[in-house]
Amino acid sequence: MRIHKPLLAAATLAVMLAAGAAAQDLTLPNKPNGTLKFAVIGDSGTGDANQYRLAKVFTDVHQRFSYEFVLMMGDNMYGGENARDFQRKFEIPYKPVLDKGIEFYASLGNHDSTNQRMYKLFNMNGERFYTFKPKDGIRFFALDSNYMDRTQLQWLEKELAASGSDWKVMYFHHPIYSSGGRHGSDTALRDQLEPLFLKHGVDVVMAGHEHFYERLKPQKGIHYFISGGAGKLRRGDVGGDYTAKAFDQGFHFIMFEIDGDQMHFQAVSDQGKTVDSGMITRRRVDNQAAPSQPAAPSANPVPPQDKPSPSTAKPAAAKPAPGAR
Amino acid sequence: MRTLLLYTVTGSVLATGVLSSMQAPAPAAPPAQAQQMPKGRNVNPDAGLAADFRKRVDAYVKLRDAAESAAPDLERTEKAAEIVTAEKTMALNIRQARATAKRGDIFTPATEAMFRRMLRPPLTKGKDGADNKAIIKDDAPQPKEVPFKVNSEYPKDVALSTVPPDVLLSLPQLPEDVQYRFAGKHMILYDAKANLIIDFMLNAIP
Repeated sequence: MRIHKPLLAAATLAVMLAAGAAAQDLTLPNKPNGTLKFAVIGDSGTGDANQYRLAKVFTDVHQRFSYEFVLMMGDNMYGGENARDFQRKFEIPYKPVLDKGIEFYASLGNHDSTNQRMYKLFNMNGERFYTFKPKDGIRFFALDSNYMDRTQLQWLEKELAASGSDWKVMYFHHPIYSSGGRHGSDTALRDQLEPLFLKHGVDVVMAGHEHFYERLKPQKGIHYFISGGAGKLRRGDVGGDYTAKAFDQGFHFIMFEIDGDQMHFQAVSDQGKTVDSGMITRRRVDNQAAPSQPAAPSANPVPPQDKPSPSTAKPAAAKPAPGAR
Repeated sequence: MRTLLLYTVTGSVLATGVLSSMQAPAPAAPPAQAQQMPKGRNVNPDAGLAADFRKRVDAYVKLRDAAESAAPDLERTEKAAEIVTAEKTMALNIRQARATAKRGDIFTPATEAMFRRMLRPPLTKGKDGADNKAIIKDDAPQPKEVPFKVNSEYPKDVALSTVPPDVLLSLPQLPEDVQYRFAGKHMILYDAKANLIIDFMLNAIP
């Protein structure tokens, strides 16, 4: 049988393009056991074709890299927030992985209603800020950077002090370091959070808000990622002294795999292309300010387990209003 | 008394000035109210005002709790419609329970003056002040996007302003789910649970 070569080539190309992520080479170790695999999306909730196109690549890639859960960097829901919006901007685009039981752990962006914390599929357990420990030795902290009040700062200090020598990964909406031209670094937030991160040995900080991908040069030993391009894109906005690697020519998500003291990462575009990859080695920094007495345990301490589950530590007791001093 | 008189004049001027830039109907200026000021030396003059403010907020929270108990439970659910229904019912109950609420019921003239004093340092001093202002402005709603009306719902399609920690740490602490937010230069007292504007203060940002 004679094969028409140009047609075959076109068909092959079409299949490859349709496959998207399937054509994507994984750079992650992708070990069958013993590592923690997760993914990150940010500024996703537009409900438009761009979100859906990236979501297709994002959900397809799960067949090859079975991330166990997803962190959301906020702006989970642009515009309205009625029941239909939750479907259109979250449940439908991510249905293939939701159906597999993959859990999403959201943080709140400036476009998000606080009551998203009650939406079970966001796993916030009714809290604006929370922590969870999906695996022995690895702890995540979701913050509400829109409203960093005294209650939240006290809670964070207490939880960090109690977290021991775990990997400590923070995520929240507003980046405290950013090369973005539109927003840039949130220095007021940095003034409050960075001292705590340094004091308690935070390893990695992830944020959204900026509609691009950026991996920053480590700042005072802490690794920073910005991932705010799962539904919105701001081309030509990134680049500067902080940048180790940036991508603002397409939508993206990031996959991570923690293997002992190493965290591997791979950022992938809506075209299924790797836009950044590499590995971070963790500093072994135990909390320098461990309290002389053990910190009070969380209201619902999370036992080590294989599957992520939120902790609902209660905020520290309120202090007198500062205005009354 | 001099302070109260000054406020009355200033408040009227500020209110008039801002109305020209707002599409929302003009909110009525609150009546000046006498405040119990602490007496004696070495007393923080704002302590009494802060206590008065807190008392008013606590009264609101008590009312909100009652309204919430009469609404469907706002609890963790996979059904977003249940969250929307619980929130809207709670808001409706609150509106009915404080149907006569008006601007100034919580941000009284005297406490407004206190808030202006408290907001000035974190928003005007040096580079930090400029940064804090820029953060509030960043992606914050324009005044015309927000209804400056007590008991109004905050529009879900409008971003909530980010409030810098420096500013929050300078202001009286609020109970959970009652928040300070901004639209333009104006400060809103916002119920995050019921998505309601409880009160507001015009031209709060110096």
